Amino acid sequence: MSRKTMMAAGAVVVVAVFAGGILILADEFTEKDQKRWQDEFMTVVQQGRELWVSADLGTNGVACAQCHPNAANTHPETYPKFQQQLGRVVALRDMINWCIQQPLEGEPLKLDDPRLVAMEAYATYERRGVPLAPGKH
Amino acid sequence: MSDTRMNRRDFIRSAGALGVLSALPVTTVELAFADPQENFTFAHISDSHIQHIKGTEFVRNWDRGLIRAVAETNLLLPKPDFVMFGGDLAQLGTKAELDHGAEMLSELKYDIHCVMGEHDYYLDLGEYWSELFGPHYYSWDHKGVHFVVLNSILTYDQWTYERWPTAEQRMLEMAGLDNPNGSPFMVGEKQRAWLRQDLAKVKKDTPIVVFSHSPIQKIYKGWNFWTDDAEQVQALLQPFNDVSVVYGHVHQIQYNQIGNISFYAVMATAWPWPYPQSYAQATSNLPKLTVPMNRADPFFERDATGWQSIGVDSGRVAMHYNLYNNTNRTVAFNRETGRPEDTVYQTADSRIAPQIHY
Amino acid sequence: MKKLLYSMVLVAAFVCAVGLTAEKSAGPSPPLGLPPVPYPEDNPQTPEKVALGDKLFNDTRFSTTGEVSCATCHAVEKAFTDSPLSVSEGINKLTGTRNAPTVINSVYFETMFWDGRSPSLEDQALHPFVNPVEMGLEDHEPILKIVRSDPEYVKAFKTVFGKTGDQVTMTEVTQAIAAFERTQVTGNSPFDRFYYGGEEDALTEQQKRGLDLFVNKGRCVSCHVVEQTQALFTDNRFHNVGVGINDIQNDVPELATAFLKADLTASEVDVKVLTDKRTSELGRFAVTRDFDDLGAIKTPTLRNVALTAPFMHDGSLKTLDDVMVHYNNGGVTNEGDPVNDFLSSGIRPLDLTDEEIDDLVAFMEGLTSPEFAHLAENVDTK
Repeated sequence: MSRKTMMAAGAVVVVAVFAGGILILADEFTEKDQKRWQDEFMTVVQQGRELWVSADLGTNGVACAQCHPNAANTHPETYPKFQQQLGRVVALRDMINWCIQQPLEGEPLKLDDPRLVAMEAYATYERRGVPLAPGKH
Repeated sequence: MSDTRMNRRDFIRSAGALGVLSALPVTTVELAFADPQENFTFAHISDSHIQHIKGTEFVRNWDRGLIRAVAETNLLLPKPDFVMFGGDLAQLGTKAELDHGAEMLSELKYDIHCVMGEHDYYLDLGEYWSELFGPHYYSWDHKGVHFVVLNSILTYDQWTYERWPTAEQRMLEMAGLDNPNGSPFMVGEKQRAWLRQDLAKVKKDTPIVVFSHSPIQKIYKGWNFWTDDAEQVQALLQPFNDVSVVYGHVHQIQYNQIGNISFYAVMATAWPWPYPQSYAQATSNLPKLTVPMNRADPFFERDATGWQSIGVDSGRVAMHYNLYNNTNRTVAFNRETGRPEDTVYQTADSRIAPQIHY
Repeated sequence: MKKLLYSMVLVAAFVCAVGLTAEKSAGPSPPLGLPPVPYPEDNPQTPEKVALGDKLFNDTRFSTTGEVSCATCHAVEKAFTDSPLSVSEGINKLTGTRNAPTVINSVYFETMFWDGRSPSLEDQALHPFVNPVEMGLEDHEPILKIVRSDPEYVKAFKTVFGKTGDQVTMTEVTQAIAAFERTQVTGNSPFDRFYYGGEEDALTEQQKRGLDLFVNKGRCVSCHVVEQTQALFTDNRFHNVGVGINDIQNDVPELATAFLKADLTASEVDVKVLTDKRTSELGRFAVTRDFDDLGAIKTPTLRNVALTAPFMHDGSLKTLDDVMVHYNNGGVTNEGDPVNDFLSSGIRPLDLTDEEIDDLVAFMEGLTSPEFAHLAENVDTK
């Protein structure tokens, strides 16, 4: 970069930094940010809850909540773990897919499907506070 | 290389209940009725949750659970005196579900007595149920024991009659175990009054067995493992010497002793439920006495489901849990300690990994 | 050519056995895909014991007609089975009710026979000698007579066990046979090389699709176990999968009740289940008398399965394709047939397409170990 360009870039940065009349640094988030992000998260937790009680994830009308009220007995704190039913070490979403495919008789979701993230968010949220125990059967 | 006879399973032995008693000290056996004919067994099948998908399609998983329980009950030797059905025959209380369930139950070779469950009740308030199975609460006497069936899944009038715009909506709201829009179960004033006058005719030393769907205890309100007027119902039962309450709804092994009353839960034929302590965000009161059932392998759809053969010995209950793909369990009243106990796993050092690995 | 191949197999077995002397307690490292072989403490392997066991295994004198040995139904040139027989034929071509399972990898079973009525390889060897439709002997005396007097056996038992005359009992005989059977361990199949050996090309694309179905949609892996570092392809448990029992399902109450009332001894059960087809279909119930076990049969290993047609405990399904169709139908051979009330709750309709069934069959063909691969040419799995 030429000296001129560098100085221009520097000026832009300084202006940007002083934009709102206050000093804004990229890596310093505020309490307002935190609250907003937490709310964003809870929206997805709520979506996960709706999927959890939905009769439409599979093809037979069975919902996750029928066997796992409040996502109990899903043990998200133990993943990844050796999942006996899959014969290998897997992550929570792989087991969610197993349940969709087996007791719910449905098609497994793609691993990057936002619905899987939502259900993971809901299940782990209902399990908050429990220490991690990865690999525990 | 000796030629040995195979071991037999306890509960198919002719002295099924006595087989349990023989594990207790001899003196307690002498307390039994002088005439061993007075001891008898009955079977208990519960919580089949027959679920309609569409047309003639029902959820195969729950169908198979009820079919198997009925088929095995029919094989029992000696024959049970009668069969109880513990409630939640249907999932959403529809005529299709109740009919399909009743059809499967009709394969039983014995008389049956039915208990109402919330999944049977909240669509039409038990109207079709009564056509199929008779009254919602009643009593009868059998071999010196007074049996009572209560409808313990009623709730506040406002919730039942006014809160929901349609019957279907009301049923759906009650169907979700963890639904915050639900409402606590109760036996209610009318039935308690009936129970009081029904028990007035019963002698204090007559053994009593009460069947209900909800636990007649307060275990965990969030999942309606709860009966709001539990203490009042218990108070009506306390004056009697030998009282057992057998309940469904919880889909897991539970047992307890409160004063004179022993409590026993029955398994579902459909699916197991987690123990309330596995919900990390709430506290609950699972009876400390209870040794949990084995944690299920969900690949085997019947794992942690089952049905029961119940022995009545001298008026006290011995519960033989027939568990598919699992070692069967027996929870019987121990006269020494005055409470129900598992005959194998009661002490802390006899527990096995699947019972604590939740 | 055949003879050369067979003797190569036997030499390979010998080499395995010889390798054992180096570390008597530990044994050689197992083939790819298998865990260490569980040797019992009271029956250590030696090459001489294995050779003795091999001789006993093949000795037809231990039958009433002098024509039947273990190898009659468990022939090395048929992957230790009697393929293509559905059920085995003993003396005078008398038939039993069950298909001869392979000896290969049987060391990894916790119980023997389709209904698990024998707790060990040593114990298992006792039974066929005295079964009326197998070797037909009244008792084991004729065997003891031979091994105590035949000079070659006398020498061998002395060398292996340090025993002669009356000291040589069925314990020594069965220990030798079991030691021989414990050398029949094979892994290193194309599946093992792909899954555990990292050889991307060891399986075809179709077989890889089959593997994916095996652990997911096909629901196979829960009973035919495949794990992170090893695959026994059996869970060593018993399940009613609707084969055989479907034919008696209306009679189960009567048969089960009659069986319970008969109160047979262990030996009587042994004879009954191989001679009475209908009782045989009660499966493990005949052993445990537990309702849970009605119609339940032990999960076999699938290693080398493509070589052992016909399939299932009664040999009633001719091809692997037929097997897949049975499972796809949810535990009935013909779609729409009534499902028996005691069907394992792990069995249900699978909704596999024809192509997916082909993929699974192709995968199973990839479970054949190199030692027996030459037998695959003779096999038609469709």
